[in-house]
Amino acid sequence: MIQSTPPDCEPNSASTLPEQPGVLVVRKHHFLVRLSHWLNAPILLGLILSGISIYWASPIYQHKPDPTTGNTDVAADLGIWICAHVPGLRHYSSPLDWIYNHVSLGPGMLALALRLHWLCAYLFMLNGIVYVAGLAMGGGWRSLLPRRTDLLDALRMVRYYFGFPFAKLARRQWLHPVFNTKYNALQRAAYFSVPVAGLLSVATGWSIHKPMQLHWLAAVFGGYNAARVWHFWLIWVYILFVVPHVILVFADGWDTLRSMIVGWSTRAGRLKGVANEQ
Amino acid sequence: MNNEEKSDSLQEKDIPPTVVEPEVKSVSVKKLQSFLGERPLPAIEMAPRIVRYQSRRDFLVFGAGALAALAGAGFLLPQETLSRIGIHGNMDSPEKEWFLNKALRIDDDVAEALYSANRSVPIYAKSQITPLKNNYNGATPDPGYIPGWKLTLDGLASGLSISFDIRNLLTRFSVHDQITRLVCVEGWSAIAWWAGLRLDDLLRAYPPMSQAKWARVESSVNLDASGSPDPYFMSLDLATARHPQTLLATHFNGQPLSVDHGAPLRLLVPVKLGLKNVKAITKIAYVAEEPRDYWAERGYSRYDGI
Repeated sequence: MIQSTPPDCEPNSASTLPEQPGVLVVRKHHFLVRLSHWLNAPILLGLILSGISIYWASPIYQHKPDPTTGNTDVAADLGIWICAHVPGLRHYSSPLDWIYNHVSLGPGMLALALRLHWLCAYLFMLNGIVYVAGLAMGGGWRSLLPRRTDLLDALRMVRYYFGFPFAKLARRQWLHPVFNTKYNALQRAAYFSVPVAGLLSVATGWSIHKPMQLHWLAAVFGGYNAARVWHFWLIWVYILFVVPHVILVFADGWDTLRSMIVGWSTRAGRLKGVANEQ
Repeated sequence: MNNEEKSDSLQEKDIPPTVVEPEVKSVSVKKLQSFLGERPLPAIEMAPRIVRYQSRRDFLVFGAGALAALAGAGFLLPQETLSRIGIHGNMDSPEKEWFLNKALRIDDDVAEALYSANRSVPIYAKSQITPLKNNYNGATPDPGYIPGWKLTLDGLASGLSISFDIRNLLTRFSVHDQITRLVCVEGWSAIAWWAGLRLDDLLRAYPPMSQAKWARVESSVNLDASGSPDPYFMSLDLATARHPQTLLATHFNGQPLSVDHGAPLRLLVPVKLGLKNVKAITKIAYVAEEPRDYWAERGYSRYDGI
């Protein structure tokens, strides 16, 4: 049993108080990892919203001008379709702009969107450095590395998630697969791919921001136009990650959410190696 | 410990007993495995008081950060976006402009640091040429200006102001051609075949005054969307002006420039965004201080290096 408290615990008058039973905690996330984790939320939101406002100025997906509206933008068509089919939106004032009014800062503000995009992009790169530093200093990177057994373990987790609602309905017991690692294989795949997507977003971003000075980088992604398409579709990695990420953290419970704020978890038994220490 | 046992068992599985491995190698494999392998998270027993204190502190810091992020968004977001989500008070402020411009200048400085006079932009083949739309800012001018067109040079070392017509320029300077990509700030781009004289040749023949660091490139024939005169002016640093691929273009895809593309002379500066590629240039003035720029005054970057 370890009795000493860590040196960074300021109030240290415990010795004068009557002995209370201690709480067994496990340090899960380094301070810099927690900091960069939460900073990602506003920065990525800013990047996506301003990015779609920039997209408005010259959409990748265009068609021949529509004979009645003259519109060429597929996103505007989608807005028209939504306003025509969703009850309550029949009288929306500008169906062509519906998408841009709802998933971007707005149409027709290219100069402002560019300035915000560069600001958020530099913050995103700095934040990435902070994250990597936190992983290195806390040793957390080891928990993110892919393993040989990951494919099979990931399938076990997929089976668990798909079976979960049916088991609940049938009031059957449905056990979570047991892993003696910090993350299960699906989590590991997700937490490994998102930083990779971040790196690719930064690389494609630079290649379309400076396509002449960094033309070799644009060439890596198949040229300037292809790099724009990459940069656009990488948004979907974040969206496809964030939605289940937020749902599952609430499903998993308070301890998991709290650990990203305070850094530690009281689920000592569930984390690897703890049993040996006791 | 558990970890050690695991790497030992992996070791046994990986190496069949029939193969005798040199001992040094097996040690290095083991080292690598234990370096990459997940470490057990140490459990610490803490007094509940301290746990409570630390949690409270971390939650307060987190809450303050969340409020700061909201305030930052309110400060930085455009007025139109805020109105759409129900915040109608005027949030525009000179501080916001100052801050965003500061961030833009950092990006300009990065662009300037990336620029190299020796780096050429990619050259394409004729088969890769793509259509180039007329993206004249505002209305396309009436071709009536072309017969009386002149290019005036100002801020020269000689102290004189010199004017050329297009025949003067084409007879005095050799013509170069290149197939390069023109990239618009909006995101689209086009590959086109251009021909013209090098701005560098003009700078050598008519050197600017010694203190000049910038060129102010103007077109007096530009019109706004309703067709009223709207002179276009743009700042260009002399380092970029001297780049060997910076042309004063006279020909587009093998033909003399049409009115759409800035007849009779346009700037072609492929290391800059399209908005610096001024059509129908009427004047180049060499100046010491950074001159005004049409699009920088409308919230875009000043340097526009790509």
